Amino acid sequence: MSGRDYDHRRQMGGELIIPALAVCFTLYYFTTIWNSPWTAQVSAFSIGGILLLLCAAFFIKTALLLRSSEASLGLGGLVGIEDVRNGRLALVLATIGYVWLIEDLGFTLTTFLFIAISITALGHGKNVGRATATAAVMSLAGWAVFIWAFDTRFPRGWFETTMQGLMANG
Amino acid sequence: MGDTAALLATAFTDTLGYWWIIIPTIFLGLIVGGIPGFSAANTIIILLPLTLAMELQTGLVFMVTLYCAARMGAGIPAILVNIPGTAGAAATPLDGYPMTKQGRGQQALAMSFVASSIGGLLTTLVALAAMPLLARVGFYMHSVEMVVVMLFGISLIASIAAQDMLKGLIAGFFGLMIGAIGTDVVYATPRGTFGFLELYDGVPLIPALVGLFAVSEAFIIIEKRVILTAKGEAAMRNPTWHATFEGISIALKRWWHIIWTSMIGLVIGVIPGAGAAIASFVAYQQSRTYSKTPELYGTGHAEGLIAPEAANNGVTSGTLVPLLVLGIPGGATAAIMLVVLQFQGVSFGPSLFMSNPEVGYGMFMAMAVAYLLMFLTILPLSRYMCRVTTVPTIYLAPIIISFTLVGAFVPREYMFDMQLALAFGVLGYLARRTGYHVAAILIGVILGPLLETYFMRALQKSNGDIMTLFSSTLGNILWLCLVASLILPAFLEWRRKTKTEAAA
Repeated sequence: MSGRDYDHRRQMGGELIIPALAVCFTLYYFTTIWNSPWTAQVSAFSIGGILLLLCAAFFIKTALLLRSSEASLGLGGLVGIEDVRNGRLALVLATIGYVWLIEDLGFTLTTFLFIAISITALGHGKNVGRATATAAVMSLAGWAVFIWAFDTRFPRGWFETTMQGLMANG
Repeated sequence: MGDTAALLATAFTDTLGYWWIIIPTIFLGLIVGGIPGFSAANTIIILLPLTLAMELQTGLVFMVTLYCAARMGAGIPAILVNIPGTAGAAATPLDGYPMTKQGRGQQALAMSFVASSIGGLLTTLVALAAMPLLARVGFYMHSVEMVVVMLFGISLIASIAAQDMLKGLIAGFFGLMIGAIGTDVVYATPRGTFGFLELYDGVPLIPALVGLFAVSEAFIIIEKRVILTAKGEAAMRNPTWHATFEGISIALKRWWHIIWTSMIGLVIGVIPGAGAAIASFVAYQQSRTYSKTPELYGTGHAEGLIAPEAANNGVTSGTLVPLLVLGIPGGATAAIMLVVLQFQGVSFGPSLFMSNPEVGYGMFMAMAVAYLLMFLTILPLSRYMCRVTTVPTIYLAPIIISFTLVGAFVPREYMFDMQLALAFGVLGYLARRTGYHVAAILIGVILGPLLETYFMRALQKSNGDIMTLFSSTLGNILWLCLVASLILPAFLEWRRKTKTEAAA
């Protein structure tokens, strides 16, 4: 088999992730209801049972495709160097940072940092000025509409507290 | 009869006089409806000091308009960027977003506005005329019947899964399992919660919606400069009014489709607790089942967009029926309206139309006027709204992520919900990249807990006898309809093939 033929085989590694997650979760779920009353078990066992059967069918199908060399266990470009090049990895890391920092820094500052960093990373370091301006406009607009005007309970930090103090003192 | 007509005419003209509050509220509703986590209910609560201070009729018009506009607004990001503003719009992107990617976002928005306005207006009038009859629907729909209604919605998974049945069903059942997280409805036994107290009430819907649609979509769209296809980008470079008129024309030609799918929404809306998500899934599934071109659904098909939009706006009128006639709110927004109006001294129930006819008829007239004015004010904006699709994704993706993630925080104010939305985002990304349909997962997450609740109630009432599911006449009729709707597409497909073969 030539390398070119190999590239054209169905990449099943990535497709197996969701069924694998489903099986792990279902088995974990079963452990949490094993000694529960029947009312807690009935729908979970029926739905979970069908899900396990479906996943088993998918694993068998995959095994058959692998055996007949129609598929490989490759990830099909699910994760790779391309994710670093196009900035996806940076965006994912920035998103994790956003969720982690927003409790302490509050909505406005965290949103500003997140948007500025993400746009800069996705734009490969070009247009830093435009990224900063967009981040400033969006985060301040969000603060003005949702926090100042509507008093929505967004996560609040130093900026929101300072602005509240300034507003209260005229 | 003559008195009622005069009352309705007066209520209509009086409500028109409130245009100064209706028009700004329409725009507010579009904004709060379009951002996941914000809804008409949340906004009325946030603005409660203002609403309570308003004069009765002004407050009524404000709340009803906000309710209708938020419902319509939820469809806009669903069509343009694949992010439903509320669970009620979760079926909208199935065909709306493919249309946008093809550069037909303007037509899609126009179609959605026409279907929503006509569906909302029509169901308002039907609800007004058939209120006593519709109020009885709630009495006939017990847990057994509701199990079948839920199954109608869930059977959409099979339709979505048509391209790869096994993967579609795995996604749907995985969603149902995720939806089963939380305490059981009878003994409150925690199940599959990973020890998180925040999951004892079940998986919150907004973080699931934000993660599966918005966050995962943002991670995907950065691969391209803009979300449009090359052909779509060329079409969007010079948007014209022609596209809006074309969208209106396409929707109006499907007037019968708007009528019957909005009626599905109306009937489901009068059942307390059912809601717009079920209505839109059921309407989409039924629309596809009885379509002559079911294979076009999911590719940017007009009927696939019209059905959920007409249905979820039909729900809006439906939820008012049990509120006004029985004093039972049909949903969260109706419950808040009940509280506000009770504060103003209005008592709901059968006597409402005698004691406060201006409130009873006024609510429906406010809805009718709101839909009329919405149609006239929003439609011209479709040309400008669709410009958002030309914004480079390096700007769009971070903005989508930040504003929707914080939207996941708003309903319960738990940081955990933002983390959960991120986890769903990663799951959604993996699902999209490996050919699993996120809508199938979401249907399971939304409808799974409801199905279990009604199923357990039915079993509890019958002391665990499973045959109770076939014990009511209405339930059996619904079972027959469900079986027919599952078998019919296969039968029609077989007949089509036979005819084609015979012709060849």
